Formats: sequence, C-alpha cells, structure tokens
Amino acid sequence: MQKAWVFIVGAALAVPAFAQSFTPSRPIELVVHTGPGGGSDVLARAMVVIMEKEKLLPVRAQVANKPGGGGVVAAAYLAEKKGEQHTIGIFTGVWLTNPLTSNEAKVSLKDLTPIARLLLEPAVIAVKADAPYKTLADFVNAAKQKPGELKQSGGSITSRDNVVRQQLQKVSGSRWQYISFPGGGERIAALLGGHVNMMVIEPNEAGEHIRAGNMRVLAQVVDKRLAAFPNVPTLKEAGFDVTPVPQVRGVVAPPGIPRENVVYWEGVFKKLGQTESWKKYVADNQFEDAYQNAAELTRFYEEFTGQMRGILQEAGIKTVR
Amino acid sequence: MDVISGLLQGFAVALQPLNLLWCFVGVVLGTVVGVMPGLGPPATIAMLLPLTFLMNPASAMIMLAGIYYGAKYGGSTTSILLNVPGESASVATCFDGYQMARNGRAGAALGIAAIASFIAGTVGVVGVMLIAPPLARMALAFSSPEYFALMALGLAMVVLLAGRSMVKALLAMLVGLWLAGIGTDLFSQTSRFTFGRMELLSGVDFVVVAIGVFAIGEVLANMEGRKAAESLPVPKGLRNLLPTMQDLKDSRFAFVNGSVVGFLIGVLPGAGSTIASFISYGLEKAVSRRPEQFGKGVVEGVAAPEGANNAETGGALIPMLTLGIPGSSTTAVLLAALVLWGFKPGPLFIPENPAMFWGLVASMYIGNLMLLVLNLPLVPLFAQVLRTPVYILYPLILGISVVGVYSTSGSLFDVWLLAGFGLLGYLMRKLDYPSAPLILGLVLGGALERALRQSLMMSDGSLSILVSRPVSAVMLSLTLLILLIPLFNKFNAWRLKALDN
Repeated sequence: MQKAWVFIVGAALAVPAFAQSFTPSRPIELVVHTGPGGGSDVLARAMVVIMEKEKLLPVRAQVANKPGGGGVVAAAYLAEKKGEQHTIGIFTGVWLTNPLTSNEAKVSLKDLTPIARLLLEPAVIAVKADAPYKTLADFVNAAKQKPGELKQSGGSITSRDNVVRQQLQKVSGSRWQYISFPGGGERIAALLGGHVNMMVIEPNEAGEHIRAGNMRVLAQVVDKRLAAFPNVPTLKEAGFDVTPVPQVRGVVAPPGIPRENVVYWEGVFKKLGQTESWKKYVADNQFEDAYQNAAELTRFYEEFTGQMRGILQEAGIKTVR
Repeated sequence: MDVISGLLQGFAVALQPLNLLWCFVGVVLGTVVGVMPGLGPPATIAMLLPLTFLMNPASAMIMLAGIYYGAKYGGSTTSILLNVPGESASVATCFDGYQMARNGRAGAALGIAAIASFIAGTVGVVGVMLIAPPLARMALAFSSPEYFALMALGLAMVVLLAGRSMVKALLAMLVGLWLAGIGTDLFSQTSRFTFGRMELLSGVDFVVVAIGVFAIGEVLANMEGRKAAESLPVPKGLRNLLPTMQDLKDSRFAFVNGSVVGFLIGVLPGAGSTIASFISYGLEKAVSRRPEQFGKGVVEGVAAPEGANNAETGGALIPMLTLGIPGSSTTAVLLAALVLWGFKPGPLFIPENPAMFWGLVASMYIGNLMLLVLNLPLVPLFAQVLRTPVYILYPLILGISVVGVYSTSGSLFDVWLLAGFGLLGYLMRKLDYPSAPLILGLVLGGALERALRQSLMMSDGSLSILVSRPVSAVMLSLTLLILLIPLFNKFNAWRLKALDN
C-alpha cells in the first residue's frame, strides 16, 4: 500500500520534463529477454528492489519479460519503442552475438541507445570431485590423447561456455565434445551424474557444490583471481594463453532518446553501483562490478563483437554480419 | 526418527498463525492464477518477489510454494468447463474432462480433479519428506539416452490416443513433431521454419496451439451446428454435482498412477509436468479395462493427468532443494528468491536450514488440505457456468482464449497464431483427425530431438548408447511393446473371426 502511495504522489509531483534535465514522470518499464527466473530477470528484479530501497528513482520500475529468440525479441521491442523515454532494458552478451549469427536478429546495440555497462560475470572451469583431473592441463592432455571422447556440458554454441572451449582447443591442439543443454540445471545435472567430464560454471553455483564435496575447480575464466577462489589459477596462470571473453550485463534504451536522458540514466546507475545494497548483491553473487558509461560501453561493444566474430568464425560457426 | 522430529519441528513453524495465513494466501492466489489462462505461477511469483522482502523467508517460501501447487489445482477448471487449458499441465485434462462436462458431469469431473490433486499432491510431499536426497542422486543417473527413451515411450502413446484411423493419428502427430522443430536449433544456432519472423525464433508456444486447436476449434465446430441457443446439461441437486462412489472406485488406479508417475517424472530436471500428465494419461488408458471409452468422458481420464501434475510439484522441488538445480521455470524463480533472501541453495541447503525445509514440507500438507476444502465447495458453483446459454458462452470462450494467449506473451503475433490453429482445429474436426496426437508430438518433439542429438554427441555417433544403458533399454522395449498393441489387436480380431468361421 505504502508503495502505491509513493507512486501516486510521485507521479503527481513530477513535472513533465522539458529539455535540459530529464526526470521520469511515469513508471519505468525495465525490459528483460528471459522469462521469470532467467538470469536477466532475476538481476532486474533485484535491481528494482534495491532502487526502491535506496530511492534512486522518483517513480516505480516494473520488469517486463519479452522472451524469445534468446534476446532477439526483446531487442526488437526496444528498437520499436523509438523515442520512448520511460523504457529501458537489460542486455547481455547474447544481445551482442545474436546479430552476428542470426539473420532474424536485425537489432544490435548500435541500433539502440547504449546507457551503461554494469557487471561482468566471471566463470570457473569445474569437474566432478572424483574425476582424475587435478589441473586444467590434466584435462586438456587427456582430451588430446583421446580426441573427441571427453565431453563438456554447456548452453548454445555461441555461449561463453563454448567460446572458452574453442579458445582452449585452439591453443592446445586438443579436441573434446560440446553438448548443449537448454537449462542450467540440466548442465549441472549432467556433470554431477558423470555423463559429461567438465563444464564452465558460475562461481556462485560451483561454490555450494565444492563446499559439499561434489565438484572441483580447475581454473577460473578471469584475468585476476576471484576472492572466493584464492588458490585456483586463472587460465593464463594455468598455462593457457587465452583472453577470457567477458560475460557482460548492462543497460540500453530505445533509439532516438535525447542526450539528457542518457546523462540521467548514467547518473542513476553510477549511483546504484555505489550503494551498499548493490555492492552486497554483487559480492553475494560473485559478480564483478564493471560500470562503464555510454561512451565507454560503445567502445567495449566494438571490441567485443570484433573479438567474438573472429572466435565464432574460427569455430566454424556461420556469421551473417 | 529424524523424519518425525523434523516434521514436528516443521509443523511448529507451519502452524504459527502468521504462516498459516500466508499459506492460505498462497494457495488462494495459486488457485486464482491456475483458473485464469495466461498468467502462470512463475510470473506471479516473480511479481510478488519485492513483497517477500518484508516477510520472514520461511513465511515467504510457504506462500510462494502455495502459489506453485495451488495453481495446479486451479488449472483443471477451465480445461473441464470450457476446453481452454489454464496452463500446459492441464491440456491432458481436456481430453476427458471436457467430454464429461458435455455429458452433464462437469461437477463430477471437477470434483475428481480436486480429489486426485489432493491425493497426488500429498503423495508428492511424502516423497519429498522421506526420500528426497537418495532420489535426487538417482535422478542424476538419468541422462540424455534415458530422456530419449522416456520421450519415445510418451510418443508411442499415440497408438493409444488414435481414434478410428491410425494413419490420421500418425499424420497429426507428424505435424506436431514438425511444429516442435520450428525455431532456433540449440546445437547449431540456425533458425528452422521461421520464415524470417523473429517471433518464431523461440518456437511455437505450446499453449497457443493447445488453446487454438481445442477451444477455438471446438467453438467453431459447434457454432456451425446453428442449433437453437441451448446450454450444456447441468443436473440439479448438490449430490449430482459431486463424484459418486463409483467414480472414486473407477479412479482408484488413476490416483496411484498419477501420484507415482507425476512424482518420478517431476524429479527429472529435463521433463516437467506436461509430459508427466500425458504419460500418466496414456498409462491409464493402456491398462484400462475400457480403453474405448477414453476421450469420451471417463473419470479416470481426468484423475490420472490431474494427479500427475500435482505430484510433479513435490518431485520438482527435490532437485531444487537438495542440489540447487531448477527443473522448471517456477523452481528457477523460487531458487532466485532463496538467493535474494541470502540463502545458498545447493547440496547443503537442507542440513543447514532444517527449519525452513521442514516448515515448507509441513506447510505443503496443510496447504493441500486447504486446497481440497477450498476447491470442493467451488465445484457446484463453477459447474453453474455451463448453464450460460451458448450464445454467451462461446464468445466468452473466444474472449478468454485471446486474453489468455495475449497475456502470456504480450505479442499480437501469438493471437494470429491462435486464430490459425483454431482454424486448423476446426478442419481437423471436420475431417476426423484426432487432435491429441498433434499436441503430443508438439509436447515431446523438442525434448525428443534434443535428447537424441545429445546422446549421439555423447557416443560420438553410435546408436548403441540408446540400448546399452539398462534404464533406457527397458523403456525402449516398453515403447516397442506399446507400438505392437494395435497389431496384436488386429491379429486377435482376425483369429476370432477365423474361429467363428
């Protein structure tokens, strides 16, 4: 009830924004590309809770799920909302790679208004606790001896899981199978059940299984060691000269919104990053706070897609753009 | 002894007045969400997440779980009354539920659905309580070859769902399988049959097809009759609106079947309640003494799938609570909620949070009882819906269908798809093609293809992986057996004829 009042009063007081500075006057629609429970959905809902608690917005924000095509539908939805000032969306890496591989994915970050990069999500390489591999080199050597016999579970072939595999295979000259599972739960179940030998997993998910003695981590897909894994080498430290591809999450807006709106949102998300609640959320999930403003994000986008295009082509995946 | 002390501890949590209240709020909300096509439990739970930060986590979990299993109770209502499945798990309920309603037995169908839900739901909770950790480990032994065999077993049910013509049933199933192939291929990231439409990249939503073919097709076919406005028969008197002793007796096996099948399939992270309800329905028909009556309104044809989709809830909670692995979108949201409240779901969750786990288990016993008490008195009330004259009822069904589909996806494209599949459903009725095989193909097709390709990738292309593993070998043999039933029946008929001569 209290929240409803805040909303009504807020809406009544907010003056429609003319030029100069932008202030939202209606509830914000926060578009995510997954259904309820998906990664971006969970992040968006946590974000809404934190923003409300820290009073970062004069209005409420509501999560709008636009699932479909692994992000394509949500990106197109934002593109259609050209000039709409009260809609923003959360993008992830797939928003950047989809346009590279799918004819139907016509909207890239370039066609929207980049606002800010928020997070990088690190990953670790895990095997079952009773597996014979103690180091990443053990695993790669075993794969080299029996090409195509070892297996990795993961998501789609354009996901980071497969990118890490392609990079490792390339520098080591080994080969193992990559088996796609649509759900994260199935990927973990396949590893714990002993049906596959290795997976790339989020540190938080791995953490509990390590604590319970089900999994062992061989290496971390990061540049600098994570606080929770002080004794596990990074890819480079493990002897593989591979540049980790970041798993990124950030905020975009529809195309054609005024410059001052971008400035406003940059400010909101910069402030969000400085709140204690956000810092705790990021630490709890073992994410990496990676705020970048709109200009920096645009540069990041160019570098990232260039790198991805090369990796996908080397992996034999057809790129269309 | 651990179980008893745990359960006592759990009831101490669940019976606190505030928790009882939240449990009640959850199951009522769940029933409402289940009755309305469209808004499902995952979306409802996600919407309520911000609210749960004001509650203590145990109460919040009790309420959110209440929504989850409560929705399964409500889902059957529109399936039975209007042939509009409230959610995908209730599609199999349409087969016999709606036919019962047409025969004037809507009350009995709704009643048996509630009773089956209660029995199976409770069995599911008992399962969670007694065998969660060992069962979760067993479920891990289940991998792609086993999933393939399970889906093949489900698909073989088509010979049981066929009407008069096996060829027509197989054709309908093939169309269903093709529909399942539409969208982005997981393994190669290429799009199939999308005709350049990005809306089709994630495939055709199963609920759109089911509502189109069942509800819209039915309305179109009935409107053509142009009979004077008449309503479906609804008997007078409360006694005639509830299941009879004979109904309960006929459903004895269905209660067991639904409970066991639903629970076991629920534990598997890659299956789900829709598949559970279909397999349980097929199994019921396979062992029935009156299989020819299925699809014409038999009470066990409602009890089995309704039981299965409720027992599935208990099963699905097992990998989530014992391993931190979500098996469905609803458990994924629940898992996200646990993380947001500061818990660490995973293998150590139950040992480290016994009060939470046992509180949840105890609350599910209470919640299932609440749902039974809540739903049975509603039966006569809901049955009155059918007294509505058809010139009001049919537009109402159309409206509910369109709103339901639109509110799920928020996309007008899906509404057009709904219209297209409505037309398809109408044509299939006119040409006497059964619609159940189409739905079956669509439900199982995606998982079947995925599991086969995963298996072949695991074995580097060798088909032997499918038969060299005991569980999948047994299930594939069963599949073969089911496929041979029609042949056997033909042979039997021929033998009898020969004997007569």
